[in-house]
Formats: sequence, structure tokens, C-alpha cells
Amino acid sequence: MRPVSAASLAMILTLAALRAGAAAPAAGAEGQWLMPGGDYATTRFSALTQINSTNARTLHPVWTFSTGVLAGHEGQPLVVGDTMYVITPWPNVLYAFDLSKEGYPLRWKYRPDVSPNAIGVSCCDTVNRGAFYADGKIIYNLLDGHTVAIDARTGKELWKTQIADVASGETVTMAPLVVKDRVIVGAAGGEFGIYGWTKGLDLKTGAVVWTGHNMGPDTEMLAKPGDFRPPYDTGADLGVHTWPADAWRTGGAPVWGWLSYDPDLDLFFYGSGNAGPYNAEQRPGDNKWTSSVLARRPEDGSLVWAYQFTPHDSWDYDSTGAMVLADLTIGGKPVKALVHFDKNGFAYTLDRATGKLLVAEPFVKVNWASRIDLQSGRPVLDPSKQTGASKGTVKDICPCLEGGVSPASPPAYSPRTHLFYSSTNNLCMDYTSTRATYLKGTPFMGINSPYSVGPGGYLGTFMAWDAATGRKVWENKEEFPNWSGALVTAGDVAFYGTLDGWFKSVDARTGKVLSKFKVGSGVVGNPITFRGPDGKQYVAVYAGIGGDWLLLAGDVRSDDPADVRAPADYVKDIGAHTSQGGLIWIFAL
Amino acid sequence: MSPLPSQLRLPCLLLGLAVAGCSQHAAAPAAASAGAPPSVSYPSHVNADGRVPPGATLHNPHAGDKAVAANGAQLFMAMNCDGCHGPGAAGAVGPNLGDGRWRYGGSDSEVFMSIYYGRPKGMPAFGGAIGEDGVWTLATYLRSLPLPDNLPTQSFGK
Repeated sequence: MRPVSAASLAMILTLAALRAGAAAPAAGAEGQWLMPGGDYATTRFSALTQINSTNARTLHPVWTFSTGVLAGHEGQPLVVGDTMYVITPWPNVLYAFDLSKEGYPLRWKYRPDVSPNAIGVSCCDTVNRGAFYADGKIIYNLLDGHTVAIDARTGKELWKTQIADVASGETVTMAPLVVKDRVIVGAAGGEFGIYGWTKGLDLKTGAVVWTGHNMGPDTEMLAKPGDFRPPYDTGADLGVHTWPADAWRTGGAPVWGWLSYDPDLDLFFYGSGNAGPYNAEQRPGDNKWTSSVLARRPEDGSLVWAYQFTPHDSWDYDSTGAMVLADLTIGGKPVKALVHFDKNGFAYTLDRATGKLLVAEPFVKVNWASRIDLQSGRPVLDPSKQTGASKGTVKDICPCLEGGVSPASPPAYSPRTHLFYSSTNNLCMDYTSTRATYLKGTPFMGINSPYSVGPGGYLGTFMAWDAATGRKVWENKEEFPNWSGALVTAGDVAFYGTLDGWFKSVDARTGKVLSKFKVGSGVVGNPITFRGPDGKQYVAVYAGIGGDWLLLAGDVRSDDPADVRAPADYVKDIGAHTSQGGLIWIFAL
Repeated sequence: MSPLPSQLRLPCLLLGLAVAGCSQHAAAPAAASAGAPPSVSYPSHVNADGRVPPGATLHNPHAGDKAVAANGAQLFMAMNCDGCHGPGAAGAVGPNLGDGRWRYGGSDSEVFMSIYYGRPKGMPAFGGAIGEDGVWTLATYLRSLPLPDNLPTQSFGK
């Protein structure tokens, strides 16, 4: 039915690696993991087949390593040739493991001098979402607003560029994207009133070549007349006119998620985060382009199209989750699609050449909007779920602001099953906003939003989704919110971890659990797979609960005797199953 | 950035607080014009040879004042403290401030210094924005929070 075969995808993977300037060792790109999402399309699909749905039941751990850091271990390792690279949360140590030797000893480790001031400006733990390999360099971001390029062989720092300003509330947690000679980065800070942006750096020197804001005047958004064609909006300076005077200057729209790239269209795609402050009455208007997907050209950053998932965001619905590129068949027609699971609870399928909406269906309980109108691209709102300081406490909004899925938990797509695989959360919230004051370097929020368990009593799931029709195919209920990314392979095995610390492999066609192992701490990272120097297929994943101390209440922390917290009433027992800890695990048959 | 001074005045007006320097933010750092507070003594530190270095001891002039504590609860939100320490100071990315435990010491002097000058690992210095009396107002609020029962032990299972 759908045109992409596994073989052609493997070729795309290899091409993608080559275009990124990566070396193409004999093993082939499909045996490595060179970029955060596995490939430019961020499918997190691997063509490896040694581990399959028949033998995965014998998966067991073969190696583990403590990172020495306790914060939330989001992101994923890279495997380049016979080396595995791991970035820790702050202080952002880079480890290089020699996979060719027994016990995988370190070749080197790189310990940057990262300012501890950044810790207090991190809304949601001191996470790092990983590195990108290109041109013999490991390129990643430091929490305190720097991008570094490290010689992949020697561990020597080749360049270091300041890209963000901690004093203004900017931190950097996202993984960069490298396209040709550009390194593309963005900053977090949607809770600190930042003026959100992406920047393009020179791969050789690290120099900032362009800065494109996510709002503000067209000149600062790099939106050129005639070149920028949003599918549902017209007019100049939408990033100014959809805000009260100057509110866009502190309006948020951070970039802390995942970037994808289409070499044929020469466009990269990313989501922008929430509008600030959380009290939406301080910023009447659509607040473009917060909670949106933006498509830009990597070379000069010019904006080609943008689509806003949640106009006038009143619920902290960031759209920083992955924009997965897949070639689907919709209504009998082949479509170059972009698929996105938004915090707002809808899964969107768009035409990635134009940004036109094709499919939008809820994947969790949603009540802030009844549906998304495919003609206008806009949500059909429930007026009783609109929030603002004058509205007092608005009760029972679903999903809660942690999202129907966390943007930190990227999905996977298999061109064999034609299905997407994603974690979800089943949480709702009450939302009380208050007037917020902009104080540079402090949170710009104005919110109290206690969560409650969604219908059914479970807190999360791992699901398979058909993005061509907008339908759920199967779903595994989990006791706790599910916060890990997904991996799927040509062996038709999908992998994910749970917040209470189980790492599971499941049949990609049915969801049946094939193996599970308790990995020592809750999983908020993303599994990867690779072919080792011995020719065997391995699966690697981080354990290390964290990433959002509003969701987790902090009762799983034990590191600070001066900080003792009660459990959250919707996840009372999580502390019975896990506590903090940073571990890398490798599994094999 | 232009919105800063006018927005900063808002909580002061709202609260009607006699916060030192509340009306002067736009002009100059309040603390600088008011004179910086003295260095304080930290008797809880381990002191070489048991000798405490010289330093002042500060006392909260509003200790136990319920009206000031209520103002402090407002100021805790207006100064965005709740954005890091959570609603009710129960902890989020920053530590719980209502558990009777203090990372940098719990004496009046130490709590004052934490808020006024900030601390490593992310606590901003608020002395410039809210002045001495603002700091004491926040400290009065934090001290007024009731300590939870059975703090050191968490039991699981039904």
C-alpha cells in the first residue's frame, strides 16, 4: 500500500549519513547510530534484523556503566564505527567507549567547564538530549548556552561557541542538527520569557552564520516576502501583529526538541514551545509562531512555511516534539508527510512540502478542543476550557501540561509496519493562572496546575499509531506516565522504557511484551540499536529518572538531605519502584 | 528591556509593601543605594580550630508576623519564586523550602544571604530587586509554612 520499502529506507539512511559528511565505514550506516533520531527523517528505525520478534525473548543485559550523574537521562548514545558516545546531563560530560575491547573501556572523556548558574534557569531538570556526529566531530550543546565540537577520535575540543544567554533565562538542552556545513541549534526557556530562536553555525569554525527568531518582525524571523508561505495565514509581520505591543519580545517559543531534515526539499523542520507567560490574558492574539512547526532552509535559515498547532496557547502545549518524516499513502495518494504527536493531545499528519494539514486526530483524552478543522487548520475550542487570570481555576483540562506525550519522548516509525510507536501520558489538570511579572532571569509563568489521573486509572501507555488514518492500532497500558522515546527495527521489534524502570521489547505488530528487565532507575531516554565490532546486534538505553520535577514531585530524589518532598497524589507509589541514578545499559541476545 | 521597570513596580503597588527601594528599581540597584548588608557569621560551618570568623548576625525583624507572612506569600508568586520552588514552596526544579531543612543553613542570617545574594547552582540574587525588607518578608512567609508530618520516613504500600 505504501511506497517506502525497508531497502529504500536503508539507502536513505546511508545517503543521509553521507550528506551529513559522516564517514561511511564498511559496516554501513544502518549498523551505526550517527544522529539523535537515527536518520534525518528521525524515524528511530533500524534496518538491523538479528534481533527479531521470535528471539527477542532472550534479550538480556551484557554491559552497564554509571555516568556518575543523577539528573534525568534523556537523549540517546551515538555509535560511530567501534565507539559509543554518551553525553550526561549537566555538567555535560562526553564519554567515548571503545566497543572493540572487553568491558568497553573509555578511550577518553571530555569534561567541559559548564556554569552551575544554568541549573537554576532550567525549568525541567538539567537534561541533555544528545549529540550529532558529522565531519569527524561529535557536536553537542552545553546547558549554559554553548555548542562544542569535539574531535571524535581524540576527544580534543575543536571549537566552542556561545549561542545562548543564561542571564536571560536561556539554557540549551536540545541535540543539534547538522546539514552540510551548518550546525543548527536552539534554546530552552519558555518558562523564562525568552525570545525564542534557532541559529545556524558554521560546521568548520562554530561561528554563528544566521539567527532566525520564532516570532517578532519578519526580518528577525528570516521570513522573506514571497519566500515565506504559511498555508493558513497571510500578511507581513505575523510574529508581531498576533501579539500585544512588545509581548513577543518575552513570548517564549523555545526550541528544545528534535530537528528533522528532508534533503530533497532542502528543508529542516522543528517545533517551537509554549507562549509565555502561562497567563494567556497577558498576550491576546494567536501569538505566532509559538506552539508551531517551522520549516527553514539550513544554509541561510530562511523561513519557508509555518503551521501553528495551538493558537494562543493557554495550556503550556509546547510543540517541541519530533517532526517525523515519512512517505505515506493517504486516501490512495502517496504523500511526503510530516507526523507529529503534540502535547495538546492531537496527532498531526501534514504535507511537509507546504505545511498543509491532512489528518489530525486525538491520541489521548482531549477536551480543550473538540477537533481540528482541516479546512482552516485551527482547533475547534471548548470555551469552558479557556484559561486566564480572570477565569480563576479552570477544572479538568485534558491533557495536562505535561502533554499527551512529552516532547522529550520521541516516537519511532517503521516502514515495514507503516506504524508510528509512541509513549503517551494519561493525565488531566486544573489550571489556575495569575498575572506574571517579567523579571529577567527568573521564571515568567503565573501558574498552579495540579494534575489528576485521566480516565481508566492508568497513567501512561506505549502505542502504535496509523498516521495515514489517524487511528490507534494497539496500546500497552502502563502504571505510570510513559516518558521514554521509542525504537523500532526491521526485526519488527519495538523498544521502550517505563518510568518505574522497566526496559521492554515488544512485538511491533501486536504490542506483545517479548522481554523486560529492571534497569535500576526510571527510563526517560531513547533506546538505540547498533551492530558491534563483533558483528552482533546490540540495543542501548539510558536509565535515570528525572526531566520534570513538577510531574515527579521529587520524592524519587535522595541526594539532598535539605530537600525532602511528599509524593504527588497521582503518582504516590513511584518512589517504591525507583530513585535517581544515571546508567547506560547494553542488551543482546 | 523596556517593560522591566514598569512591570517591576506592579507587585510593590499590589502588595502595598514598604519594600526598601521598591520605587527606585528603574533608577539604580536598591541595595547599592541603601548600602549592602554586612557579611554574616555562619556558626553552623565547621570552623578551623573551632574559631568562628567575625561576622554579623542578622535577625528577621518580622519574625512570626502573620500579616507579613501573608504579604510574603504574595511576593513569593510576584517575584516568580514559585516558578522554581513550586506552588506553596513545596519544591520543583528548586528545593522544597517548607520542609524545615535548608541547603545553605537555616539561621535568619543564612536564609537572608541565600535570597539577597543568591547561591551557586542557580538561586538568583534577589536583593537588588526587592531590597532587605523584601527578603525578610519572603523569609517570614517561608518560616510560616507548616512542617509536614513524619518527614524523614516515606512508607509505601496500601
